[in-house]
Amino acid sequence: MLNPLRSEAEAFRFLVAVVLVAAVIVGLVLLVRAL
Amino acid sequence: MEAAAVPAGHGHEEHHGPPEAHRSSRVDAPLLGMLLFIISEIMVFGAFFTAYFFIRVVGGAEWPAEGDVLPKLVAGVNTAILLSSSFTMHWALESVKAGNRRGLQAGIFTTLLLGFAFLFIQVNEYVHVGFSPTESAQASIFYGLTGLHGAHVAIGLTLLAIVTVRAFRGHFTPEEHRGVEVPGIYWHFVDVMWVIVFTTVYII
Repeated sequence: MLNPLRSEAEAFRFLVAVVLVAAVIVGLVLLVRAL
Repeated sequence: MEAAAVPAGHGHEEHHGPPEAHRSSRVDAPLLGMLLFIISEIMVFGAFFTAYFFIRVVGGAEWPAEGDVLPKLVAGVNTAILLSSSFTMHWALESVKAGNRRGLQAGIFTTLLLGFAFLFIQVNEYVHVGFSPTESAQASIFYGLTGLHGAHVAIGLTLLAIVTVRAFRGHFTPEEHRGVEVPGIYWHFVDVMWVIVFTTVYII
């Protein structure tokens, strides 16, 4: 299981995951607004 | 208590300093400390986000306030700078783990510079954004959220400055590098918070 508090490497992977999720949310919101 | 039973003068068995603290938790102490710290930080940011969503969603206020313009492009470039600094931070730690001192020094120093660049651009944004915190509730929470995050960047830069000095003085080895690891976790947390702040305040 990914635990961002256990090590820097896991915190970095967690950050990358958050960026990807945020990009998906922004994409969906912009798409819904455009419709 | 165990150390007190060992006669003095027996070299490697001798214990210095106070006795070991009693630990009732099964969680590793540094991990538990970091966990409690991050939880308290999430609560602080949560309080500010509550105010933000109250103004924007519950209150239904226009975002940003009428006549105000948020510099999305500048903030976007600043986001790229901060995210880049997480990559250089990761590079620094991977370097020290591999025994590459040059990589550690270059990585941590670049992280420090990128962090300073982010903070400089944010202050510059405040100077040119064209509204003050007292003008509206939206302006107050804009400065509150971004300022709270900026304060965390400033704390992170202080930690990174210490790590940079230590790296150039020859500290840290592939076996012992907790002094890089813990500030690294904090720095990535600061970046995660910025991704959320940037997404909610500037984009959505």
